[in-house]
Order: sequence, then C-alpha cells, then structure tokens
Amino acid sequence: MTELTGHCHCGAIRVELTTALAAGELPLRACQCGFCRRHGGLTTSDPKGRLHIEAAPGSANRYRFGLGITDFLLCAECGVYVAAVMPHDSGLLAVLNVKGVDLPGFEGRAPDPMTYDDETSDQRVARRAERWMPAVFVETSPSA
Amino acid sequence: MTASPFTWHAGGCHCGGVRFEVALPATVEAQSCNCSMCAKTGFVHIIVPESRFRVTKGAERLAEYTFNTRVAKHLFCAECGIKGFYRPRSNPDGWSVNARCLDSVEGFELKIEAFDGQNWEANGASLSHLSKEPA
Repeated sequence: MTELTGHCHCGAIRVELTTALAAGELPLRACQCGFCRRHGGLTTSDPKGRLHIEAAPGSANRYRFGLGITDFLLCAECGVYVAAVMPHDSGLLAVLNVKGVDLPGFEGRAPDPMTYDDETSDQRVARRAERWMPAVFVETSPSA
Repeated sequence: MTASPFTWHAGGCHCGGVRFEVALPATVEAQSCNCSMCAKTGFVHIIVPESRFRVTKGAERLAEYTFNTRVAKHLFCAECGIKGFYRPRSNPDGWSVNARCLDSVEGFELKIEAFDGQNWEANGASLSHLSKEPA
C-alpha cells in the first residue's frame, strides 16, 4: 500500500490517502462547477483506498451548497479547500482536492474535465458510492 | 475627452457573500503562479492599481491569512473559502484579482503566463509595475 500525504497551506488540516495504486494510476478530475473552478480544485479518489483527514481544533469549516448533501471542508485559517465528504449508508465517503494539499505524484498531468450539473440527488449519491472513497474525519483534541 | 481604455468587470466568491469589480483593458496579462500558496488556491493573478479595483459587497466577510514575511494579505470568504482577490507581496500598493472568480472572461482577451513564484525573491520585482497608477 502507498500512503500519500499532504496538508493545507498553514498545516492545520492534514490528509493521508492509503491506496494500492501508484499516484499516476489515480484519477485526476477537474469538476467544472462554480465552486471547484473558483478554488482551482482537481480531485482524486480511490474507492478501494481510504482517506484520513485530521484537523486541528476549530480549523475545519464545512460549506454546503447545491443539493446540500456534501460538506466541503475548508481551512478556517488559510482558506484552502481540502476535501469533500458525504455521509452515506456505507459510512463517510470523500474526494480529495489534490491541489489544495499538494498531493505528490500528480505534477504535469492533464485533468479530466467533469460536469455533474444534470444529476439528481439519487444519481449523485450512486456515482459517489462507486467513485469516492471511505474516509475518516477527526478533529484532534486541543492537547494533542 | 479620451475614452477610458478600461472596462469594469464584476466577480465574486461562490456563496455570493463577497462581490468585487475590476477595471480591465482589452488585453489582460495574467500570471499563473507555482508558489505554495497559489498552487493550493489555484490563484490566477490579474494585478491592478488601487484605483482599478473595488469591493462592492461583503468586505466584512473576508478572513485574512498571512505567512512568511506577512506582507501579502491573503483574503478569502469566511463562508466558502474562495480567494477572489488579495494584497500581493509583489504589489502591496495594488490588488491581485483571481481570474477564476470573474463572472465572465468574455469581452477581453486573457493571456495567462507562467510565473515562477517558487523563486519569488528573484522574480517578484518583475511584477511591481503592474500596480502603478497612470501618471
């Protein structure tokens, strides 16, 4: 297994993606929605891997829009968009912003443009159940 | 009287809380920077003098982040995290507007060039003329 690590600019939110794939085998998607375009987000996920997200106390803001079924995790300190998480029957599912955490191994790759505007809520959940990855999101205690 | 060579264009964050306007010429030279901050926020710089930028809504919603020399004032919407503009270290007398946050990139030509912000000390001064007010 490979462990790819990264963090937002100030380091308050840290991620670790555990995957059997090499970084070059992971997808790199450029969602064309207004949120992802403005953040310059490029995302990846491995449905067979897992993502660990760890945030310092009070450092993670949750932003919701559109269908309102997803928490977009933003660093309250530096503003960086780190990841999106969605509660699902199978547990928490996530997609990671490769750019926001400067995940290694994606340099120079052309992302696949993606448009999801016409999806219903059910279609969106079904797509993410296939493509997003299991995730754990924890806020560390102040003494940690 | 000579017509202004600039046209005002509007932009904003994602949640709509912060709005701004910037006066742009027919051809806009923008910089895509590779520094640690710009890479993480996807910032595409349009640097203008003070007089060609104005916040029209939500200045009170802006959060500020500084690091390193703390000269640059990195501003973002506290709600949606979007960084639509900020005070750059290269141009503390002006503004850098994020081309990604303009409502439209039609009506002018946008030329995006690479800027090597990873070697900021060697390259930062090359941008300083962009925020000078016309004489």
